Amino acid sequence: MTSVRPKLKPDTPKAVTAWATRTGRSVWMRQDGTWSENVGEAAPFLGVEAEVRLAEAMGQEAVVTDPYFMEVTESGRIAGRETIRETIRATGPTFIFGEGI
Amino acid sequence: MYRYDEFDARLVGDRVAQFRGQVARRLSGELKEDEFKPLRLQNGVYLQLHAYMLRVAIPYGQLDGAKLRRLAEVSRRYDRGYGHFTTRQNVQFNWVGLGDIPDILEFLAGEGLHAIQTSGNCIRNVTSDHFAGAAADELMDPRPWCEIIRQWSSFHPEFAFLPRKFKIAVTAAAHDRAAIAVHDIGLRILERNGVVGFEVHAGGGQGRTPLLAAKIRDFVPETDILDYLEAVLRVYNRHGRRDNKYKARIKILVHELGAEEFSRQVDAEFAAQGGHEKIALPQAEIDRIHAYFAPPDFVPVSAEEAALFDAAQAADVDFAEWCGVNLHPHRQPGHASVTVSLKPVGGAAGDATAEQMDLVAGLAERYAYDDIRVSHAQNLVLPHVPVVHLYALWQALEAASLATPNESLITDMIVCPGLDYCNLANARSIPVSQAVAQLFAETKYQREIGRLHINISGCINACGHHHVGHIGILGVDRKGEEVYQISLGGRADEKAAIGGIAGPALKAEDVPGAVKRIVDTYLSLRRGRDEIFIDTLARTGMEPFKEALYAAA
Ligand code: HEM
Ligand code: SF4
Repeated sequence: MTSVRPKLKPDTPKAVTAWATRTGRSVWMRQDGTWSENVGEAAPFLGVEAEVRLAEAMGQEAVVTDPYFMEVTESGRIAGRETIRETIRATGPTFIFGEGI
Repeated sequence: MYRYDEFDARLVGDRVAQFRGQVARRLSGELKEDEFKPLRLQNGVYLQLHAYMLRVAIPYGQLDGAKLRRLAEVSRRYDRGYGHFTTRQNVQFNWVGLGDIPDILEFLAGEGLHAIQTSGNCIRNVTSDHFAGAAADELMDPRPWCEIIRQWSSFHPEFAFLPRKFKIAVTAAAHDRAAIAVHDIGLRILERNGVVGFEVHAGGGQGRTPLLAAKIRDFVPETDILDYLEAVLRVYNRHGRRDNKYKARIKILVHELGAEEFSRQVDAEFAAQGGHEKIALPQAEIDRIHAYFAPPDFVPVSAEEAALFDAAQAADVDFAEWCGVNLHPHRQPGHASVTVSLKPVGGAAGDATAEQMDLVAGLAERYAYDDIRVSHAQNLVLPHVPVVHLYALWQALEAASLATPNESLITDMIVCPGLDYCNLANARSIPVSQAVAQLFAETKYQREIGRLHINISGCINACGHHHVGHIGILGVDRKGEEVYQISLGGRADEKAAIGGIAGPALKAEDVPGAVKRIVDTYLSLRRGRDEIFIDTLARTGMEPFKEALYAAA
């Protein structure tokens, strides 16, 4: 696995995130199990359901790579000690880059 | 420049075809990521925070116009219109899709470019002095030796699965611009009684355990060098710590055995090589490779032309300022080596847009014998420019934000991608570098301060060389907050040293002010403008700097 992230407790709300295998873009699992490139659509999961959802994601090698839990609030917003990393991952580098140079 | 033959082209072509198959199997799910990862890494493909990243090899940092234009085109067609030049003299594309990578590699191969051995536990891109073949202070051109080592190490079956990655740097100048002391093997080319040979250093490296290389041999004659390197690699391959990733680099082995014992084992291995095993590099082969690196037919520069150059400087203070900072003495009269700065204040160190790459490619062809280098400080270099062309060159660079006069000054920082891109990062590097640069933006102020290297890494892997920065800045994660540890006194040249940590880590917003206080302390303590920061620090020790650093914090 590329990402070894901090372990989260069962009762901590978490989203399932990964990289789209073809494009490498960051993706988040929606409530219905499909994937979105928009972090705003990340669904929060808890406890056993979260584990089931992660296992589901792990079974989709052709679609997503290296799924892991990302800590979120009850409403699905990025939270916890990896907030900076996950925010950058969701919204891109924090300075003007590329053609904007 | 070295030209690949059909054999090389076929090898690269075969590798692209093979990887195309592997990518297809990954995309179908037939290969799982765990199986695919070692395969992609062998082809320079990483998975970063936002996308796949492709690292393309630039052997010893040398390009020509056609190659640079090809890189520009890759960034335009398959990425977001820019590339990132790294301190290992390579280039990285940050936003590529996996499905496109086989096409990118094929497109690159058309220009003799590839991503082989840019990752994984093999011998990586051999790096060298970016002024190689041009510098007034070099004994000879180190590039032919880099090329000889590249050929020997490429697809070397015995060294494809080393305990860990392996980096070799070569210099032939009095002033070490290749940082040989922090490489797994560092070679210094020497001449003894008319024989060319190598002083061999081994066991240097950065990362979480920074160590300087130890000299393990004073002199290995050129015909023996590949056999000697083979002996070093064998000892390492056999005894390197495969059980622990953090102890797997050769530096740990050399350190644990002691340089003397390590050297003894290498000598024993060298002596044990059977006649049939010896490469015993033939002189004809050495000469053949050297022929590819013959200097260009330097045009003579007349006294009138040289006078024009002087007149242009007299007439244009900005041009004169740039000349004062970004030119390096050339061994050919009437020529200079030019640093094309990729460090505009407010930019990301080492980034260049497709347009900038195209421009530099064209300028190199027009004014600079079609030779371009990538420096380990993450700038581009035009090694050979007749002084008559400098004014026109500068104007063109200036118009494209490529003429920041800051070579080796405080805003010419080495900066890793950090948490803005890197999946291993603890903290951001680039925004911190930008905030520091803002504070020192004025050229006059930078020149007053003089040579001062700030190096920044976003985690302990030290890709931004923070251990050997005069001022090193290391990003650390403190319970979800990005904080920065400052170290002082590192250097990567012939007086190489690992910096010492100055004290507790600082918040991002406090870093520029802290750097300012360090600089002010230096300015107040130095014995004159000739005493650069690192020399003042060596003379006074860290105390006054530590005091200043933490006084107001
Ligand atoms: C963004 C993707 C990158 C990843 C995943 C990565 C990963 C690593 C890792 C894991 C190490 C530590 C190796 C060790 O100590 O054994 C390392 C060291 C290093 N990397 Fe990177 N790196 C990346 C980008 C870069 C860039 C952009 C540069 C150039 C600016 C670079 C240059 C180096 C250097 C010079 C070292 C330390 C020298 C040494 O190996 O001792 N890397 N990198
Ligand atoms: S030093 Fe760390 S953060 Fe910076 S590029 Fe290397 S691995 Fe990434």
